[in-house]
Amino acid sequence: MSSVLYKSVVKNFGALNVLRSLDLAVPDHKFLALLGPSGCGKTTALRILAGLDMPSAGKVFIGERDVTRLQPRDRDIAMVFQSYALYPQMTVAENISYPLWIRGTPDIERKVKIGEVAAVLEIGHLLDRRPRQLSGGQRQRVALARAIVRDPAAFLMDEPLSNLDARLRLTMRGEIKRLCQRLGATTIYVTHDQVEALTMADLVAVMHGGELQQMAPPIDIYDRPANRFVATFVGNPPMNILPVTLADNGVRAGGKIVPLERTRFFACRLAEIVEIGLRPEDCSVAQHDAPDVLPGEIYVVEPMGNETLVNVRLDGGNVSVRAGRDFRGAVGENIGVAFDAANACFFNSVGITAVHRVNSNGREK
Amino acid sequence: MQSGTQARKYRLQGAGLDLALPYLMLAPGLMIVLGVLVYPLLDGLKASTRTYRYGSPISDVGLQNYVHLWSDAQFLNSLWVTVKFVALSVSIEAVLGFALALFCLREFRGIRLLRTVLIIPMVITPVVVAIVFRLIYASDAGMLTALSEAMGGGAMQILGNPLNAFIGLVVLDVWEWTPLMFLILLAGLQSLPQEPFEAARVDGAGAWRVFADLTFPMMRPVLAVAIVLRTIDAFGTFDQVFVLTRGGPGEATRLVSIYGYDTAFKFQQTGYAAALFVTIGLVVLALAFSAIRLLRRIDAS
Repeated sequence: MSSVLYKSVVKNFGALNVLRSLDLAVPDHKFLALLGPSGCGKTTALRILAGLDMPSAGKVFIGERDVTRLQPRDRDIAMVFQSYALYPQMTVAENISYPLWIRGTPDIERKVKIGEVAAVLEIGHLLDRRPRQLSGGQRQRVALARAIVRDPAAFLMDEPLSNLDARLRLTMRGEIKRLCQRLGATTIYVTHDQVEALTMADLVAVMHGGELQQMAPPIDIYDRPANRFVATFVGNPPMNILPVTLADNGVRAGGKIVPLERTRFFACRLAEIVEIGLRPEDCSVAQHDAPDVLPGEIYVVEPMGNETLVNVRLDGGNVSVRAGRDFRGAVGENIGVAFDAANACFFNSVGITAVHRVNSNGREK
Repeated sequence: MQSGTQARKYRLQGAGLDLALPYLMLAPGLMIVLGVLVYPLLDGLKASTRTYRYGSPISDVGLQNYVHLWSDAQFLNSLWVTVKFVALSVSIEAVLGFALALFCLREFRGIRLLRTVLIIPMVITPVVVAIVFRLIYASDAGMLTALSEAMGGGAMQILGNPLNAFIGLVVLDVWEWTPLMFLILLAGLQSLPQEPFEAARVDGAGAWRVFADLTFPMMRPVLAVAIVLRTIDAFGTFDQVFVLTRGGPGEATRLVSIYGYDTAFKFQQTGYAAALFVTIGLVVLALAFSAIRLLRRIDAS
């Protein structure tokens, strides 16, 4: 049993309220990504789980055990730090085997273990080197090796890829995911990079301002964001938000009336929605005078190679549209934005998603 | 045409000054260094090869002064006393300084005040420190005697007893210079990265293992520099001994600095004293170099 549970965990640094009552349950064997902007409390939450910081209030459980007041070494966890935190005076082999050595594992067993994890992470040829003789990617592998050598109840990773260059980050992202699936241990992975969170995790917990916004599988985080913050934080480019008002059998957005299905319309009216959210890939460009499109003009065109991002200025705000790679248009040109209202979600005045999109299918157009 | 020539002339003049300026600005400092460091050093080297009478050189004796040193029982004894004094004081200072630095690394109420207070002994003039310790050690009205008598004992003989006087001197040095060790080591500790220590706590290391496996190895270079600095400095200890015991009783606290001073100014053997100090300088230099080389070897392996 190695599920992880935060029970009303509060953390204050002096007058600064970093975590306001965090409740979070990570099932056994799951990979959870704690996602949020800097200062949202995600790293603090992880450090509390590790035992490096004490919560001001609340409890933390690993498995069935209350570990709130335990020393880090008694929690049966392993941690990978953003700066790798290797021991500079020790060789790679000594670094990897330190958690075993400190627990008095016999020499022979330790040697076998070092060999095993070194093979998994392909660092067998580096065992006699010291950390400062390694590249960033190699240090990262050593840090991972040191974490997995001991079969802990939970892995804690604090932005382990942030110090790598973009290319290496991509490779390591895949490798860490494979590694964690293979080990099957509960993993808590802190990141501010939504792509990492979505691609690697079984569950994503989005945090903001010291509070948990939503915890769900990646696809639900993307398709059914609980509120405006999650909707705009996840996705690149982020979800488009436009102010709307209710009209006859639909909503008025971008200067046009968008008709809605009856049940959704009533739900919108009941929730007093004020904004509409649209993913860029759910929008398409059209002739500006075509029926049922929002008329606007091109603000920016960004060719990405495989597609083109078109930012269109509408009445009420700008929206990003994913257009085909062969899209051609000049800044200032008139253009229309078309979308299916079934793919839109609606927010009420406090930013809660009141009406979700109808389905996540049919995105392929 | 004319203005073109004019412009070139100005540019050349400007360039000339630009080239000379660095040397001009260096010149005053260089003159001072030559005058107060290099000249006395060379003059001292010259003096060490001569014999003096009534303060004037009377003959060149080559390296004879240097050779004579090694058969001079008083010099050898003073060297031995110095080595004992340096080894004892510096090692106690290193251990105490390290312990204090580790303690003061924690953050708690009043820590800034404590850090400041711990620096104070180092700031006090050495002669003043020596006078204070003389008062503490004095056998008739000293603090130790007073304490001893209050507890029903007799007068404490510190400066009159060879062993006690030596220990008293070491205690004085430790009191005055532990703060320097503390300061250097605290700065070193504060500059260490935090993450490896947190990683070690998660990996299962207790306080002692964290110290033995991380703190100490990572601090070794800083510790070595601090010890080398203090060793060089301790070899030259003079004022405190001069005020406290003048080298006595007997030769118990006669460091080479005191013996050299006596040779030069009491016995007027200027050339011999110069040779003595040059020798000590070389010994200290050799010590420092070998310490640093040893450190490099440890680091490289």
